[in-house]
Amino acid sequence: MAAIEAREVSKRYGTLTALDRVDLTVEEGEIFGFLGPNGAGKSTMINVFLDFVRPNTGQVEVFGHDCQRESVAARECMGVLPEGYDVYDRLTGRQHVLFAMESKNAGGEPMEILERVGIEDAADRKAGGYSKGMAQRLVLGMALVGEPDLLILDEPTTGLDPRGARAMREIIREENERGTTIFFSSHILEQVEAVCDRVGILHDGELAAIDTIDGLRQSVGGGTKLLITVDEIERVEVGRIEAIAGVESAWIESEPSQIVVTCSNDAKMDVLVGLDDVGVDVLNFETEEPSLEDLFVEYTGGGE
Amino acid sequence: MTWRTIAKKDARAVLDSRTFRWFLAIVAIAFVFGGYMLPLSVEAPTTSDLPSSMTDAVTLLLPLLGIMLGYKAIVGERTSGRLNLLLSLPHSRRDVVVGKLVGRGGLLAAAVSVGIVLGALLVYYPFGTLEPLVLASYLLVTVCFGLAFVGIALAISTLTTSEHLATAGAFGTFFVLVVVWPQLQPLFSVALERVGLASGGLPEWALFVHGATPGLLYERVVEGFYGGASDGPYLGPDAAWYLGEWVALALLIAWAIVPITLGYLRFQSTDL
Repeated sequence: MAAIEAREVSKRYGTLTALDRVDLTVEEGEIFGFLGPNGAGKSTMINVFLDFVRPNTGQVEVFGHDCQRESVAARECMGVLPEGYDVYDRLTGRQHVLFAMESKNAGGEPMEILERVGIEDAADRKAGGYSKGMAQRLVLGMALVGEPDLLILDEPTTGLDPRGARAMREIIREENERGTTIFFSSHILEQVEAVCDRVGILHDGELAAIDTIDGLRQSVGGGTKLLITVDEIERVEVGRIEAIAGVESAWIESEPSQIVVTCSNDAKMDVLVGLDDVGVDVLNFETEEPSLEDLFVEYTGGGE
Repeated sequence: MTWRTIAKKDARAVLDSRTFRWFLAIVAIAFVFGGYMLPLSVEAPTTSDLPSSMTDAVTLLLPLLGIMLGYKAIVGERTSGRLNLLLSLPHSRRDVVVGKLVGRGGLLAAAVSVGIVLGALLVYYPFGTLEPLVLASYLLVTVCFGLAFVGIALAISTLTTSEHLATAGAFGTFFVLVVVWPQLQPLFSVALERVGLASGGLPEWALFVHGATPGLLYERVVEGFYGGASDGPYLGPDAAWYLGEWVALALLIAWAIVPITLGYLRFQSTDL
């Protein structure tokens, strides 16, 4: 059974289409990254999972429970770090976790949860005085209560410092090792690249791409970029490099002075050998894989 | 069914606010004060004298407390985002509405109960008479009256996503139902006479309509059941059956149920 099975989900607000026939399947045990610029519809999609928002067409099932008709059953499988939440000012951190335990009918020791998310020192302080990062950790802790089968994290690293973001990634990995499926939305590419098995890219309410990170890289030209530093750059003829099979294009950059070649992965050695053949000494070379950012820009039209 | 969890947390949060503690205390103290004053004006009082003597205070204070408790309960959570946190846990929206109603209504009921019981003891001791059944029914009727306003305010709170609108709506409702409406009877008389629907006083259907606010219904219930009133346009021997205290009681119960139910149905069907 799939952890999340969304079919033809559309949501319109007046004339604005927030989601346009999105199909999405997240398998059990995956870490799925849901990527897209702000306003692409990521939160709307998550809000459909949570039954905060009712889609105009289509439906979503979480572990076989319809998110609209069996919303409570669906949410019983989930631990959620929602978007745009606020904590209860007058309750302490410990009371928050206890409330989550009672709500989910789950046992456990609140302090263990608070230690896991690193705010055990603030357990008995009222959450109204927490910083944004502490509140984020607290709500993550509430999401972890009851060992959910699916963790839904909407922009989980917002408000966290780099240390907090790293701790978040560790918790995601730990939970995933326990068998939890993770659905993780972000507009920050490195976050997704660092932990996710598969990503979906949402753009203007449409699912622009859905694949593994490697798969996405290959689909965008499959290209590798070679940066080659040589001893006598004047002697290099760009045309001859471009004639090598597998090379897309080549040009010379002046600052720093080097040859740039985009080519398929297999043609890399041919380029270096070709330079050697014309008597140019290769002093140094680097390869650049297309980053997820490049992919992202490719799929979302360069952040217009 | 997790409304208990929500009710408990909500009641705790309300009690943490000093303003609300004062408000609840004032309502309880009003009954105690009433119970203290009654033996000074009535010789050999019984506890059934208490309800009528309290009506003016009750019909002002309980609507105010009910509105205060209810009007921000849901819209406040919605605009702040606490509702997102709450509903990301496995609660249904019905659990949220019921939990709020029980949590906040429960506090109102507790304040009313403490006040009435202590007030009744002051009536009873040293020269009065205690009638437990009368007292119990009076307590239920009064709690029902208070709950009607908690329900109305909660319903308003579920209807809008703007705190300003909810505030205006709730206090506007209070002003109209509690302050203005009861004074309008002469105006209605004149208006109906102009259009030829009445001559010298309101016809019975108009009395029914005018007397259908929670406050006027509550007064009629108290007068009819505890005040022993058997005259006047509503409770007199010639009045229509639907102007009597039993129908008033039924309508009062409807006020406690219908608005909040409508509010829930609307809340259930909207996007957050």
